[in-house]
Amino acid sequence: MKRTATTGFSRRIFLGAAVTAAGLGLSGCAGGGSPAAGGNVELNFVYWGDSNRAKMTDAAIKVFEEKNPGITVKSEYQDSGPYADKLATRFAGGNPPDVLAMANRSLLEYAQRGTLADLKGLPELNLEKIPETVLSRGEVDGKLYGLATGVTTIGMVVNKTITDQAGVTIPDDKTWSWEDYAKFATEVTQKTGGKVYGAGYDVSTETGPILLARQRGEDFYTEDNKLGVSEDTIREWFQYSVDLRNAGGYPPAGFFEQIGGSPAQSYLAKGTVASQIIPINNFRGYNEAVQGDVVLLRMPGETTEKRRGYSADPTMLWSIAAKSKHPKEAAKLLDFLTNDADGAAETLTQRGVPINPDVAESITSKLSTDDTTFVNMMAAIQEDDLPPAYVYPKGASVVADTLKQLATEVEFGRITPADAAKTFLEKSNAAINK
Amino acid sequence: MSVLTKQAPGAAASLAAGPPGRRTRGTARRRNQRSGYLFLLPWFLGMLFTIIPFFASLYLAFTDYNLFTEPNFVGLANFQAMTEDPRLWQSLKVTFIYTFVSVPISLAVALLIALVLNRGLQGLAIYRSVYYLPSLLGGSVAIVMLWRYIFGNDGIVNSFLGLFGIAGPAWVTDPDFSLSTLIVLNVWTFGSPMVIFLAGLRQVPTMYYEAASIDGASRWRQFRSITIPLISPIIFFNLIMQLIGSFQTFTQGYVMSGGTGGPADSTLFYNLYLYQKGFTEFEMGYASAMAWLLLMIIAIFTAINFIASKFWVFYDN
Repeated sequence: MKRTATTGFSRRIFLGAAVTAAGLGLSGCAGGGSPAAGGNVELNFVYWGDSNRAKMTDAAIKVFEEKNPGITVKSEYQDSGPYADKLATRFAGGNPPDVLAMANRSLLEYAQRGTLADLKGLPELNLEKIPETVLSRGEVDGKLYGLATGVTTIGMVVNKTITDQAGVTIPDDKTWSWEDYAKFATEVTQKTGGKVYGAGYDVSTETGPILLARQRGEDFYTEDNKLGVSEDTIREWFQYSVDLRNAGGYPPAGFFEQIGGSPAQSYLAKGTVASQIIPINNFRGYNEAVQGDVVLLRMPGETTEKRRGYSADPTMLWSIAAKSKHPKEAAKLLDFLTNDADGAAETLTQRGVPINPDVAESITSKLSTDDTTFVNMMAAIQEDDLPPAYVYPKGASVVADTLKQLATEVEFGRITPADAAKTFLEKSNAAINK
Repeated sequence: MSVLTKQAPGAAASLAAGPPGRRTRGTARRRNQRSGYLFLLPWFLGMLFTIIPFFASLYLAFTDYNLFTEPNFVGLANFQAMTEDPRLWQSLKVTFIYTFVSVPISLAVALLIALVLNRGLQGLAIYRSVYYLPSLLGGSVAIVMLWRYIFGNDGIVNSFLGLFGIAGPAWVTDPDFSLSTLIVLNVWTFGSPMVIFLAGLRQVPTMYYEAASIDGASRWRQFRSITIPLISPIIFFNLIMQLIGSFQTFTQGYVMSGGTGGPADSTLFYNLYLYQKGFTEFEMGYASAMAWLLLMIIAIFTAINFIASKFWVFYDN
């Protein structure tokens, strides 16, 4: 066959294009630029959160800059997912921020690789007023790598409008058991004719099983940075959700497909579930999203299991990079964030209850009703003797991912709670002991 | 990936330029060469930024680099660890299923639409753009998000199925269906192979068809004996490009699952797992080794295709 016009393709072009295209996948990421330091010291301060948090933080930073002439703070914030990615690349590129927010589960990943400064070695940071129980949550081998931004814990929120309409009484949260909660949730579903599911808590976040483990006399993460939770507890955690789903109190598999994480996007706000577990510093957001008829309850099982499960947990942690060029100024900023009442007057309980009791006291009059509810509950919980809690070990982020993955497998019945618990321990131990 | 989709229309444009005139061949050639290099310039500049990480990753593949401390040479330990990593095998499984299902379908759809558009439609440019649009958007975060809504529990797809009394599954959150949702998304972005097919189809001289129909050949026969052989280099080109692109899928899986590869690792694409290893577990040495394994896999599949192409691709030159 002969042609007058050709398509002009040759083997060589294909090969070239193919090799090029394949090679593109190989090139990774390199670090970003470096901040310019002018006449005075410029600190880079990064955290995750939304615009509301940023607004409050900016106001506090302004106060800091007024009190500390010669230091300017360049702050950046992002959503938590991209924040974690960017932080890793910045550290890898040798260009870490000076002061940064750190998640509990990531702290030792960074600290045990020598990337964070020992905060006890910085005289500008005054730790006198900080309770030992708070310090221990950022400590490993006697060195302090993370300081809580504030403390919070988890709680149950219930949409009272729904339960009132359904004619279901909310049990007394001071004494309720896990069975009480299951009974309550199932009743809500029944009395709303299946329009609303009584329970809509997240099975796949580690804070739930952490609390359950403590109630059952175990430490999810132990003092020597290992996994301490038993296979039985994890199995129980999964089994509970399976039973609750079978009884109708919990939505069917595939129901939760939440895209955003804000209270306004929650199923509680949409009115398709009547209760949910939240970090209680977010109570105000949920109450506003549901137009003010949400009640904040303690978690079930606090008086009916072996021991108290509650602990005052760091909402997140502040750290200073070991490679910071201005550790002195960074420590000053961290001291301000921790101990300065004027700064706290701007940020209030945005990152949990301030860890310096004097500072926490100073802002009480400035809080909204909802935030006061949160602070009061936090205080009431801590009045009792709580078992100690420890810093999350290295590998904790793999543990979190493993839990998420297995929760889905259980949800769709692809694996039994018993097998899921077994796999969870295997994978988590492998990640932590590596 | 964006580089791939950008290359494609460029290739199409040079095809559409038509046969060279019979002018002074030497100067035209030189001018062509000069503009050729000019067009390549951005690629050369980009290459400078690519070449260093490229070789760095080769070195790091043999180390225990963790992003923060100095890498130590560990020989083949990373590659050995790969053989015992169940998630690696899962990610390969996901990527292979995705590739071998979506590439043939999207090529068939692309060719079909190109054939329809090639029948001398009025307003061809508009149709071409409309059909091309999804491939510009398909890899974007916004479209993947939109896809989540379309296939969501209250989304269009399930509402439509509901009209017929069918209770649709949880397309996005059920591990048995989540990957198929992404395959549909990939097929939907048939635009760039379509544009290339279209350019190729327009190069097939009409006289062949005229001659064939005088001889009494049916449409199907004409398609099989004229169209397919003459555009076989283009089919081959599209196949290779789609294959490479699909092996490297990342964004769709990342956005759809919020970076986890979930539900239950059902959308854990190879590149997504590589990314997790490197940036959330900080095992950059392992991640680099994974990158090189992917290169090898792609190279092998491309080589197989090149060998196989001898039997079905028709070159004029």
